[in-house]
Amino acid sequence: MSTPALSVTDLVKTFDLGFLGSLPGFGGLAARLQIKGIAQRVQAVRGVSFEVQRGEIFGFLGPNGAGKTTTIKMLMGLLRPTSGSGTLLGHPLGHREARQRLGFLPEHPYFYDYLKPMEFLDFYGQLFAMTAKERRQRAAALIERLGLSHAVGRPLRKFSKGMVQRIGIAQALINDPELVVLDEPMSGLDPIGRKDIRDLIFELKQQGKTIFFSTHILQDVEMICDRVAIIINGQMRALGPLTELLQSPTQQVDVVVGRLPEEAARRLEGLAQGTVRLGDAIQFRLGDGADVDTFVGDALGAGGRLVSVVPHRRSLEDLFVAEAKRGAAP
Amino acid sequence: MRQIWAIGLNTFREAIRNRVFASLIMFAMALMLMTLAISSASLHEEERLLKDVGLFLTSTFSVLIAVFVGVNLVYKEIDRKTIFTLIPKPIFRFQFLIGKALGLSLTMLVQVLVMAVVLRLQFLVVDARFGLEMVQALFLVYIEVLVIVGVALLFSSFSTPFLSGMLTLGVFAVGRFVDRLVDLRLKTGGGDRTPELDQVSALMRGVAHILPDLSLYNTTTYVVYDKVIEWSYVAQATGYGLTYMAVCLAVASFFFSRRDFV
Repeated sequence: MSTPALSVTDLVKTFDLGFLGSLPGFGGLAARLQIKGIAQRVQAVRGVSFEVQRGEIFGFLGPNGAGKTTTIKMLMGLLRPTSGSGTLLGHPLGHREARQRLGFLPEHPYFYDYLKPMEFLDFYGQLFAMTAKERRQRAAALIERLGLSHAVGRPLRKFSKGMVQRIGIAQALINDPELVVLDEPMSGLDPIGRKDIRDLIFELKQQGKTIFFSTHILQDVEMICDRVAIIINGQMRALGPLTELLQSPTQQVDVVVGRLPEEAARRLEGLAQGTVRLGDAIQFRLGDGADVDTFVGDALGAGGRLVSVVPHRRSLEDLFVAEAKRGAAP
Repeated sequence: MRQIWAIGLNTFREAIRNRVFASLIMFAMALMLMTLAISSASLHEEERLLKDVGLFLTSTFSVLIAVFVGVNLVYKEIDRKTIFTLIPKPIFRFQFLIGKALGLSLTMLVQVLVMAVVLRLQFLVVDARFGLEMVQALFLVYIEVLVIVGVALLFSSFSTPFLSGMLTLGVFAVGRFVDRLVDLRLKTGGGDRTPELDQVSALMRGVAHILPDLSLYNTTTYVVYDKVIEWSYVAQATGYGLTYMAVCLAVASFFFSRRDFV
């Protein structure tokens, strides 16, 4: 079995705030002092562990302030983990060889606004020691693929938010990376822009790349992710394939029956968790464990007409909200 | 090396396209032209005044611009979060810092050259001699600026732009008088030495050994009296300046490599 594209074990990040903690190299002393105003500690990530397999699309979910970006920054070498370890493409975090095969788009990217797209991508290509010809070809292809051909003569300061996001993705792909890490790639995009990014992520997966992206837009995750992790308050709350995570222990079924005689309706209401009158039809909500076949048989036997039977699976939103509430509980 | 050059060139391009930088150069050039007016008002001392004030303005403005740009250089990358896309690339953090220093050094070279050209034109106007000593003096001004670039980057690797700017200007101001500090022996008003004053003197002498000796780069006396500076002196001052800059960058890299980018 091949090594995972990305793995972290018990990753912890504690920020030492206050004057002393802000000085490089004084974090440890600040931690020992623990005097308010001089040193304060905030634990942003508390022992996060997960693996991302090669070739999969992995969604990293969490509400604002959950620790998603902090975790990603540790993976990218922007923050030093307080403890714990991790690997990127089989190398320890921060290893140069891994970074050579990595692409990264930060959250709310901001770039050198005086550069034009080709200059901008050429600069990033040089950081990967690509030849001038490689840089030119790759930059032109990415500009074309991301729909920025009309803006090649424009400096980045004249780009819209969506265009900045696209050129940001282009810089993340300039080196044709094996692992692409995207922090909130859909942020600030309109529905068409989001669809374009989703299509691009699918395309990257088809090319055999691994995509790790964070988001709080659940719809996007449900549409494209193979596996997800939910992080809340710096702790991992759920991890696995969407199909497994969304298997609900409290599955419900809505049965809508029309033209049901009043006596039968009252009898069946007693078997349901709740009912809603919809004109001449009634919607019965049956709880987990209810015998739906028998219920429908009874309704039809009483002269009713079956309108619909809709099983309610647990949505990602249900799971997310439940985990968020669990995480917020004292 | 290619990565350092890429970062350096990008830094240079950013500075050159920056309107604030262009405005500062224009302002410095306007002040230089005022020198011409002042020197023409002096009695038969036009050439001497032009050399003296011209070199002073070139040096002072170059250092001020180096401080202004230098202390903001790394901070801007962090504040505008452009560094978030650079650090994950296959570069070492010290390469980023050296690239930044290279870019700023190139920018300052252009700045000193522009001021040198303005100065040369003024010499033509008053028909003054622009000898080798002027070229040597301007070259040493540039080396002094490189020392300041190193100091500015050192402070900005762990501090805010304002504090870094104040500290760098302090180093510049004291550095100009380091040659006097190293022999400092404080005395009372009556001319006596006391243990307390000896301790303060020793402390000042210690500080003087850490700070850069910028008096090496003040060669106005040579220029005013048309004396060519010995090449061995130029080489020694250059070697000292580049070494000081390298040490500053090494210490800055140490701090920078431990820094978190929140």
